[in-house]
Parts: sequence; structure tokens; C-alpha cells
Amino acid sequence: MHVDLYEKIWMGLAVLMIAAFLGSITYGAFAFASHPPSHVETIDPKLVRTDARFATPGVSTRPDGSVQVVVLAQMFSFQPAEIRVPAHVPVTFRLTSADVIHGFAIVGSNGNTMVVPGYVSQFTTEFARPGDYLIVCNEFCGLGHHVMSGKLIVTEEEAP
Amino acid sequence: MAITKARAATVTAGPHARGGIWSWITTVDHKRIGILYGTSALVFFLVGGLEALLIRAQLARPENGFVGPETYNQLFTMHGTTMVFLVAMPAAVAFFNYIVPLQIGARDVAFPRLNALSYWVFLFGGLFMNSSFLLGQAPNGGWTGYVPLTGPRFAPGLHIDFWVLGLSMLGISSILGGVNFITTIINLRAPGMRLMRMPLFTWMTLVTSFLLVTAMPVIAVALILLIFDRFFGTSFYAPAGGGDPVLWQHLFWMFGHPEVYILILPAFGMVSEVIPTFSRKPLFGYAIMVYSGILIGFIGWGVWSHHMFATGLGPIADAFFAIATMIIAIPTGVKIFNWLATMWGGSLRFSTAMLFAIGVIASFTIGGISGIMHSAAPADLQQHDTYFVVAHFHYTIFGGTILGTFAGIYYWFPKMTGRLLDERLGKWHFWLMFLGFHLTFFPMHWIGLLGMPRRIFTYYDELGLGSLNLLATIGAFTQGVAVVLFLWNLLRSRRHGVVVGPNPWNAATLEWSIPSPPPEYNFAVIPEVHSREPLWERREATPAPPAPEPAIHLPPPSHWPIVVAFGVLLTFGLFLANVWWVPLGGVALVAFGVMNWAFEPGH
Repeated sequence: MHVDLYEKIWMGLAVLMIAAFLGSITYGAFAFASHPPSHVETIDPKLVRTDARFATPGVSTRPDGSVQVVVLAQMFSFQPAEIRVPAHVPVTFRLTSADVIHGFAIVGSNGNTMVVPGYVSQFTTEFARPGDYLIVCNEFCGLGHHVMSGKLIVTEEEAP
Repeated sequence: MAITKARAATVTAGPHARGGIWSWITTVDHKRIGILYGTSALVFFLVGGLEALLIRAQLARPENGFVGPETYNQLFTMHGTTMVFLVAMPAAVAFFNYIVPLQIGARDVAFPRLNALSYWVFLFGGLFMNSSFLLGQAPNGGWTGYVPLTGPRFAPGLHIDFWVLGLSMLGISSILGGVNFITTIINLRAPGMRLMRMPLFTWMTLVTSFLLVTAMPVIAVALILLIFDRFFGTSFYAPAGGGDPVLWQHLFWMFGHPEVYILILPAFGMVSEVIPTFSRKPLFGYAIMVYSGILIGFIGWGVWSHHMFATGLGPIADAFFAIATMIIAIPTGVKIFNWLATMWGGSLRFSTAMLFAIGVIASFTIGGISGIMHSAAPADLQQHDTYFVVAHFHYTIFGGTILGTFAGIYYWFPKMTGRLLDERLGKWHFWLMFLGFHLTFFPMHWIGLLGMPRRIFTYYDELGLGSLNLLATIGAFTQGVAVVLFLWNLLRSRRHGVVVGPNPWNAATLEWSIPSPPPEYNFAVIPEVHSREPLWERREATPAPPAPEPAIHLPPPSHWPIVVAFGVLLTFGLFLANVWWVPLGGVALVAFGVMNWAFEPGH
């Protein structure tokens, strides 16, 4: 079969390029243990209920006055379903999922994160306006997706 | 005279079947395959539209019980999958097939049988996926199919099997189509049809074809990993087994965002044909329109993670993708302004095709602006996976792709049939559809900001979303009426429309130089091209078309494409048996078909 010279050169170049790309990916994966960019804190989704970080979901105050909220998401509820936090104080949410991907969106604020099984999702925000906020799961999670919601109450007084 | 005799074909034509169902099954004529694609896309459009109406009926009022949550989940999953893969893409491919060879002065596409194979694999894939409704097990994981919800542990049953196998088939069809059109446009242009003289629609077809060939393999990889997880017990995506669900999101959107441009660029091409014709002016800034189309194709590869701002990728990734997303708005904006500049000072004729094209400018711009709102990651967190996003992508895909495709249908229907679509019905169609569209999707911006998430089967009364949702439902049914009018127009005009000559719109490009509908060989003599608007150059010298040359070689019909496509269907369909060696039966049929294909005489 006759193959044009330019075509041969191009095919050779293509093979070289593929080899170089594959080589660099393989080298990166093994030599630097690099993975797709993702959240770094992992957790075994089968053991979330006994893991010390998520054994007691709820609100706690840290020594510096900031507030930490630990939430466990599962089909089709948040635990705890009602969260009470003070206004004007940094609030750190730490979440994980016991089953599939869920969402955790506080409507009317930019507090919103995907809750991915196997990972701990964390974000910090501050609420300026006291009041009741609706929390919804906005990642489709199956039959009961529409009932998966919670309530956030932002209060003027100090944290409990 | 722009069109002169250039070269004569020599090989004798083989026997041609001219009528009957068998001639359609074995056809390799790009015009017939285009009609097959278009008709199938229209039928799937009715199916997907019906699904949309059922969804809107369910959401019309709070705590409605019209359909149950399980049915609802199947409806929205199939609505999204159908509209993207079985409507918007094949409708564009229908025009690639019918129009591109005519625009570049070719007698067929580069690989006519491969073209037929693309169509049959697409049709079988679409029918396979929709056949799941007969078993009551339609896909129910959302069109994005996020794992682990679609993995073996949380999605038992055949639902997701149908989805993942059907989509794999559609991917094969798209890759074959992309290869075919790249080769056709690069190799089969008439003498003098330089790249920078090609009509914009042909250019956008070329860019889209490159996107098809590069993006579809990514979804193929994602789907194959999911097939392994589901059928062979691997855990690529299962965190319990050391896999990573975020990997699916990256792969899906690495395909998914170029896919968005696969959907919109053909419509941009159609609008870029319609607006100059009905403004009686050459397209403003031709070169920059071409370059911005190419740029969109390139940058489209660097924005996928803006679908994942809520996943938690960290500030560096979020910042990169936010900026890339803002940058891609620039070439898109260039196109909008160039269309406006084309109309500026033109002699405008508001035919139905032109109305739809202007409708694209108005609607797509709104969708583009809400897209920029998403590109700012902090703002996106308030909109992520709410109805605001639903509003945004319907403004781009419906307001851009579907309205643009309707512009293309009204524009090129006379070329395909020799008759005009009725303009009075067409205007009713346009206004009902345009107003219905905005009535449906504009309220969704507020519905989303008020906190209604996507993909919920119902909502509570106290959220105060009832009246806006009712408005959206009324809009959806208005569009339903518009579609019925369009169907009636299509059926009626096919037989009773006003008969017109080769160039009813006084357009500039080559497809309008030949009779309507074009003969099987398209061009009696291959034209020679001297400019971007060959039919607007020295029109007074146009003589009567010369008689066809006696011996034009056209490939004979072939039944091997449908045999191979059936083999592909068996290969994927037999996975449902869940025995690893059964699909090999389909592989054997593919191999048998390809062997015979390779040695078929006359090709």
C-alpha cells in the first residue's frame, strides 16, 4: 500500500505525541501520586456512623468562638434536620454522605456544597441576617429527592 | 459567470433503486440520509416534547399527584437525554447531510456508506433506549447520570443499563459522522471553494465535526467504566471499593461542555446563512465569524469544571474555570454583534426563517448573560442545580439550537421539496412558540432563586412557587400548540405548498444554483467558485442549467450499513442478558458485515 511521505510523517508524529502524553500521565500518576483535583479529606462511606468525625452530628462552639456544624447527609434526610447557629460569627460546615451524592444548599445565602461519599466537604460562611433559612438537597439523589430538606435558624444571641 | 464547466465525471453509474421502502433502507445518498435524520429527529422531538408536557403538568401546582416520583424521574431523565442526543444533534446532522455537500459543490459525502451506518446506529440506539418504556424501566438517574446513584449498588434493574448502553451506541454514530464530515469538507470542495470562501454553515459543520470526533471518545470512556462497574463488578466510581465518584463528573463534563458547543454551533451556522439572505447583505465580518467559531471550539475544551463549582475543587481550579468561562463569552458576543451589524442598513425581509433567526439572537443572548452569571463561582453557588440553571440552559439550547433549527427548516425546506412552507402558518408557529418559550422559561429564573432545586417531583405550597410554576406550565402548552401548527404546515406544504424555482430567497450560496429538489447527482457540472457569494456575482449572465453529463458515477445502494448497525445494536443490547460472552454474537455480526462491506463491488 502506498502511503504518502507527509502522511507517514504525520502518523509518526501522532504516535510520538500519544506516547508522550501517555508517558507523562503514567509518570505523574506513579512518581508524584497525582490524582484529579478533588477535596483532600477522605472518609470511608461505610463507616461514617462510627467515624469519630461524624459519630455525633450537630453544632459545637470551638475555643476561638467560631462555630462548627457537623452534618451527615443520607437518603433522604440531613442529620441534624434543624440547625441553630448565631449570626455574625464564622460558621464552618463539615459534611459527608453515607450513600450517594447529595447537595447542601442554604437558600438565600451562598452556602452550598456538593456532598460526595468518600469525601468530607467543608465550607465556612457567616450569616449577617438572623432568621429561618431553608436547606435543600439540590443534587438528584433518587425517589425521595423532593423531601430531602432541613432548616437553618440563625439567631441574634450567642451560640449554645 | 461564476459557475462554469470544470471537470467531467467518467465512471458509469450503477443501477439505482428509486422508490419503495427498500430503497430508503439501502440508500447511501446524502440527501435521503439527511431526510431520514431529520424525520427521526422530528419524531423524537415529539416524544421528548410529550415528556416535557407531562413534567410541566405534574409541576403545575404544589403537591400534585399527576404522576408518581418514579415516573417523574424517568420522564425528566428521558426528556433531557432525548432532547440532547436524539433531537438537537441529529437535527443538526440532518442539515449537515443535506446541505453541506450542496454548499461546497460536491456530489456526495466522502464516505456514503459510513454515513448510512451513522444514521442506522443512531436510530437503533434511540429506539433501544426508548424501548425501556415498554418494560416500565426507563432510565431514571438524570441525564448527567451522576454516580454512585447510577452505579450497581443504588441503581439495580435495567433502567441505567438501557441508558449507558444506548448512549454508547449514539456516541459511535456521532464519531463516524464527525469523521465523514471533516473528510468531506476538507477533500470534496469544488474548484475555487477555498476554506475562506466556504459558507458559514459549512464552517460551523467543520468545527462541530472536530468537536464530535474529540469529545465523544471522552463520554465513551466514562460510559465504558460505568459499564464495567455495572456488569463486571469493578469499582471505578464506587468509593466503598476505592473508586472516585468525582472522576465521573470530570469525564462527563469534559465531554459535556464541548457537547454544548456541538449543539449550538450548527444553529449559529444556520442563523449566519439566514440573516445575510434576508438582509440582502453579505455577512458582516466573515473572517472574524469563522475565527470566533473556531475559538469557541477550542476554548470549549477548557471550561468543563464550571459545572462543578459546588463539588469542592478548591480555589485554584474554580478561579481557572471561572476565567475561561468568561473568556468564551467574547467570541460568542462577537457573533451576536456581527449578526446585528449584518442587519444594520440591510433591506430586511421578515420571512418566518428570518423571524426565527432574530428570535435566536434575542433568546440566546439572555441565555448567554445568565451563563456569565454562572461563571462567577460565588454567584454560581446560589444558582447551582436550581431552576435558575434549568432556565439558563433552555435559553441556550431551546432559544439557540431549536429556534435556529426551525430557521433552517423554513429556509431550506423549498430546496428539499421545491415548495415553500406556508408563511402565514409559519408566523403563527413562530409567535406562539417564541412567546410560549419565554413564558415557560423566564419565570424559572425566579423559581430557582427562590430555592426550588432541579429534578424534584413536587414542592410544598408554603414555598410560594405555585403561581410561577403554573405560568411556566401554560407557556409549555402554548409551545405544544405551536408544534402542532408546525406539523400541520409541514404535512400540508409538502403536497400543497407554493411551487418555487431553484432560488426562492435570492440567496448567495451554491445550493441555490441547482434545481429544487436537487437531482441525485446534485450538480450536472461541478461549479467553479470565484467568491464567497457565487450567486450574487454577475447574476445577469446566468444561463439555463446545462444538461447532465451522461456518465456521473454515484455509489450504488448498499444493505451492509444496516447489517453492521444491527450488529452494533446486538453487541450493546445483549449486555442486558448479563452473561459476558453473549454480546460476542453482535461482534461477530459486525465483523461479518464489515468484511462484506469492504469487498462490496461498485464502491
